[in-house]
Amino acid sequence: MTNAIEIRGLNKSFGTKKAVQSLDLDVPEGSLYGFIGPNGAGKSTTIRMIMSIIFPDSGELRVLGKSSAVESKDRIGYLPEERGIYKKMKVGAFLKYIARLKGLDSAEAEKRTKEWLVRVGLADTYRKKCEELSKGMQQKVQFIAAVIHEPDLLILDEVFTGLDPENRRLMRELIREQNDAGRTIIFSTHAMFEAEQLCDRLFMIRSGVKVLDMPLEEIWRTYDPKMVVVEPIDAADVSKPWGSLPGVKEMDETDGIIDLRLNEDADVGELMRQAASLARVRRIELKRPSLEDVFIELVGGDAAKLRQELRSGPKNVPQEVARG
Amino acid sequence: MGKVFIIAWKEFLATVATRAFILGMLIPPFIMGMTLTLMPLLMNKKAPSVFGHIAVIDQTGVVAPRLTDAFSPEKIRERKEQKQKETRDAIVKGSKAMGLDDKRTADIQKQMDANPMNAAANMLADTNLTVQVLPPDTSVDEAKKEILKATGREQVSNGNAARLALLVIPAGSVRSSEEKDGQPVFAPFQLLTAPRLDVEVQSDIRKQTGRAIVDSRLATAGENIATIRGLMQSPEVEESAVTAKGDTKINEVAKLLVPGAFMFLLWISVFSSGQYLLTSTIEEKSSRVMEVILSAVSPMQLMLGKIIGKGAVGLLILMLYSGVGLASLVFFAMADLVPWYNLVYLFVYFAIAYVLIACLMASIGAAVNDINEAQSLMAPVMVILVIPMILWMPILRNPNSMFAQVCSFVPMINPFVMVLRISGSETIPAWQIPASILVGLLSVVFMCYAAAKIFRIGVLMYGKPPNIATLIKWVRMA
Repeated sequence: MTNAIEIRGLNKSFGTKKAVQSLDLDVPEGSLYGFIGPNGAGKSTTIRMIMSIIFPDSGELRVLGKSSAVESKDRIGYLPEERGIYKKMKVGAFLKYIARLKGLDSAEAEKRTKEWLVRVGLADTYRKKCEELSKGMQQKVQFIAAVIHEPDLLILDEVFTGLDPENRRLMRELIREQNDAGRTIIFSTHAMFEAEQLCDRLFMIRSGVKVLDMPLEEIWRTYDPKMVVVEPIDAADVSKPWGSLPGVKEMDETDGIIDLRLNEDADVGELMRQAASLARVRRIELKRPSLEDVFIELVGGDAAKLRQELRSGPKNVPQEVARG
Repeated sequence: MGKVFIIAWKEFLATVATRAFILGMLIPPFIMGMTLTLMPLLMNKKAPSVFGHIAVIDQTGVVAPRLTDAFSPEKIRERKEQKQKETRDAIVKGSKAMGLDDKRTADIQKQMDANPMNAAANMLADTNLTVQVLPPDTSVDEAKKEILKATGREQVSNGNAARLALLVIPAGSVRSSEEKDGQPVFAPFQLLTAPRLDVEVQSDIRKQTGRAIVDSRLATAGENIATIRGLMQSPEVEESAVTAKGDTKINEVAKLLVPGAFMFLLWISVFSSGQYLLTSTIEEKSSRVMEVILSAVSPMQLMLGKIIGKGAVGLLILMLYSGVGLASLVFFAMADLVPWYNLVYLFVYFAIAYVLIACLMASIGAAVNDINEAQSLMAPVMVILVIPMILWMPILRNPNSMFAQVCSFVPMINPFVMVLRISGSETIPAWQIPASILVGLLSVVFMCYAAAKIFRIGVLMYGKPPNIATLIKWVRMA
């Protein structure tokens, strides 16, 4: 399989701050790649270097087989993190303008603009000025601007920011649709939840350093923490000898919920059967790790602080909007 | 290149197809044009006719016959024709004063006759007045009552024509009974008019009565009226300037007006289009649409497209205003005051001046986050803006002074200086025109290079706005 993007030993500093350090990355064609990491991790910097908007201090970068994205701009769709629209321009005129800049002829630009506006439920905004749209509507218009020329490579920076749950669902659907059509997609988000639901490969970055880069399935296989959670109905049952069940390495109890960390070779089925017979339980489950857990495990250090870092929204966006 | 023109077209429309532009830029020349074509038509409209009589209580016994004669239909027509001739003569005199030669003056005269511009004379109401002489002992109060019945706008006389005015001429107005400082003192005459009587008619009555009284005085004193009137004419003046080439008609107005108009045209079109470029660049940056656009085109294409687009706006302004200017010169048969090659130079220097200013504006727009931050970087632009205004008069007064010649080769201001010098009255050394264009082109190349660097770095730079030192650093960065 060929790679849409190949990055070798990429470095970029802003003054004394190292934004990206010796980064290697391969994005295979047709993949749906998630870039995740907290604010200021280097996601947008990496994306901007891929787009040749800023230039690396050192390292190699190939986009769609060319040494620079400039050479294949018409094959790339890009939704920047810092995105805007011409406030006074009409929505239809704006989209047609962008489409023409991306190499479509006038008639095709108009046709696709109308089709897309219908597709995202904004058909009636064609003649409205951009400034009349709500933030979420503007976001959809900007997404159309990124995909209208049917690019081979689609790069979406913080695409879910500022959308309500319903529009997030629509956006996920649209991204999947684009991926099903064979397009390579990179999207960055600080929200691990979106990444978990959508991408098939994951790239994690923190303080400019890559911490993880593998397919999602492999992540679940590799970072399976083998943990069983038990919640007894009767609070008194918390004191039962859970820790001495077969295969349990460690036991931890908080607010009447017991976490049992297992040995590598533990028989999960047998353990769950025995746990169920020890006391009447409300629930007993094999816990799947969240990407957040994986990230924290990989980075190490102060888990609470990291969680806080991950959950804080991107710059300029109110918290509740960011979390949706 | 295709993308550059898509950007240019969008930039052009974004400025031109707005209410503000149409109101601010297109309407004024349109109104000027309309005024030029419509004014004569409007002026051609005749004032309403006036029917009625003027009552005269003549206590002198000599003025009334003269008045009756002055308001005879023949005399009224004569006065009207005289007034038309005066209007025409005044315009011819005016064009002579502006320094036009005889051939051109004759052209104007011909055009005036063909054209209803002399319609001013028609302002004189179509009058049908008669003079009714009342007995000298008539009561003024009684006679006055008759005026109240009139409106002053009578169209039809119903048998007895309405009384529009009453003149009371005392005996003392012709024969003086006393003297003051060796001069005779005369009594004033009274003029009572209907409130809405046409002002032209009022002034005509006043003038004719005055004339009739003075003539009566001369006749009483035994003088020859025609001789005295002839002697009283005010003398005319013929002015010329003495130059080496021989005496020439004074050309002061044309000498200052044409070069000044040229420079202001250049100035307005360059700076208004530069201003549009600045605000549109800042808007793209502050609304963060910049990166979206840059995902489709390179910063260079964007800058080039914007400069071409707003340049087209400037060109439109220039063509519009110079077009209106030329049209009015043609209208007044003065088109050869502006030789065609001066217009060519105007457009060449516009291109140079515009690209220089546009490069500055694009750099500033790209470097700042909003319009307020732009103010601090505008200082160099303001200097260029003000200098032509200061240099205007000294250069015009002496287009070939050392000062004017040096200014012609100072980058940034030389387009303005050259336009002033070329369109001025003195011939300038021929080599200076191509040389100044060359200086202009070299500065254009340099400014484009610098602006390209600043624009490319600036467009995606947010946060603290750079100062001029930082901008220079950006230019020097590889």
